Amino acid sequence: MTDTLTSLDNAPKATPSASASAHAYLAALPDILGGDERFKAILDRLTAMSERDYYDPYKLFVWPESLPQDAWWMSPELMSVHGTEVGATLDEAQLRALSKWESVNFYSLNVHGIRELLTSIVARIHMPGFEVASEYFHHIIGEENDHMWFFARFCLLYAGKVYPDRSLAFAGPGIPEADTFLLFARLLIFEELVDVFNQRMGDDDRLAPTIRHINSVHHQDESRHIAFGRQIVALLHRDLRTRLSAEQLAELETYLKAYMRSSVESLCNPSAFRDAGIPEPFAVRRAVLADPAFDAYAARILKRSTSHMVSEGIFTHDPNKNDTNERTPSS
Amino acid sequence: MSELTEQAPAEPAPASGPTGDLVVDYLLARRPELGVIDPDYDLIDNRVLDSLGFVNFLYVLEEQTGREIALDQVSPEDFRTLRRIRARFFDADQD
Repeated sequence: MTDTLTSLDNAPKATPSASASAHAYLAALPDILGGDERFKAILDRLTAMSERDYYDPYKLFVWPESLPQDAWWMSPELMSVHGTEVGATLDEAQLRALSKWESVNFYSLNVHGIRELLTSIVARIHMPGFEVASEYFHHIIGEENDHMWFFARFCLLYAGKVYPDRSLAFAGPGIPEADTFLLFARLLIFEELVDVFNQRMGDDDRLAPTIRHINSVHHQDESRHIAFGRQIVALLHRDLRTRLSAEQLAELETYLKAYMRSSVESLCNPSAFRDAGIPEPFAVRRAVLADPAFDAYAARILKRSTSHMVSEGIFTHDPNKNDTNERTPSS
Repeated sequence: MSELTEQAPAEPAPASGPTGDLVVDYLLARRPELGVIDPDYDLIDNRVLDSLGFVNFLYVLEEQTGREIALDQVSPEDFRTLRRIRARFFDADQD
């Protein structure tokens, strides 16, 4: 997901020692991924589930010519302004109008996020190190292409546009051995965040049937992708704990937490305020992000993802709890 | 400082600040220890701008220029220094 959800790049400025570490890591990747019998069994199960649940997205959905403009397009408690002072200044008609454009922003972020996901997976499928996952990668690619199609169709049909990608990747110093881990961790965070919305909106009677349907179908498919993401991210991090220093692992944790926050901030788009007829959209966005209620919103949306990161030892600390665990080298 | 270790402070508001230049003020609010930013100071290599904070900076530029910036028409090099940012987004003859 972009705006920030997808654009991030850990592209390293390779020094000789960093290059050597990166090469050693890539050489070890077949053992890291292929040597885990549980991972293989999960991949087989997910592949079987994908085959069993296969559907034709081009025939599955009903696309009415238009949707009621004055209805809720997004569950109001999932809107960025929920509980904020800005939200309190808007009447219900304004909130409903904003819900349309925030939903279009949400689906647009999905479109751009899926583009990055597909690019990343295609770059790895049938490449050394990813042999064990290649069969399942084919299913992910197919399913994600379907998702991108129905999210983009929704935006184009009912809003006349997909909001543009606002992200730009800057290369910089990094930890080359962590590139693969960071890629899959970002994708997992993206999928988990989106799924919070899909799960709620797929079952929200206030929303039009078409809106509920695309969200519920996406939730069904993403549950498999999240299961895969959780396994590969945990596996890669377990290996990194044997390679990286405590300081480097702490850097990864700090980075991913910042990524999570910027991902939630990307749900608050000044273009959505503008399209909803709300004046001074940039100032409104700043006010929303600075509101303590937005911190609570972010914590709520990231709760499941953060808990998983803590339970796998990827995060030593849940910022919403007082449960700091000191990281020790190679722990 | 590594990209991975840098944590941006809370999002600063681009109100008129000590330098009178809203773009500079925004960047200094992110990295106050710099004190001043030379027009040719490398904002990318020195991690004043990074991927995670980029969109917020983009919105500052859009608010100040009054125009949406199409990212398919710019590159990271356009953001490397204050001089390049001014030339690309604020000079009268820029497209």
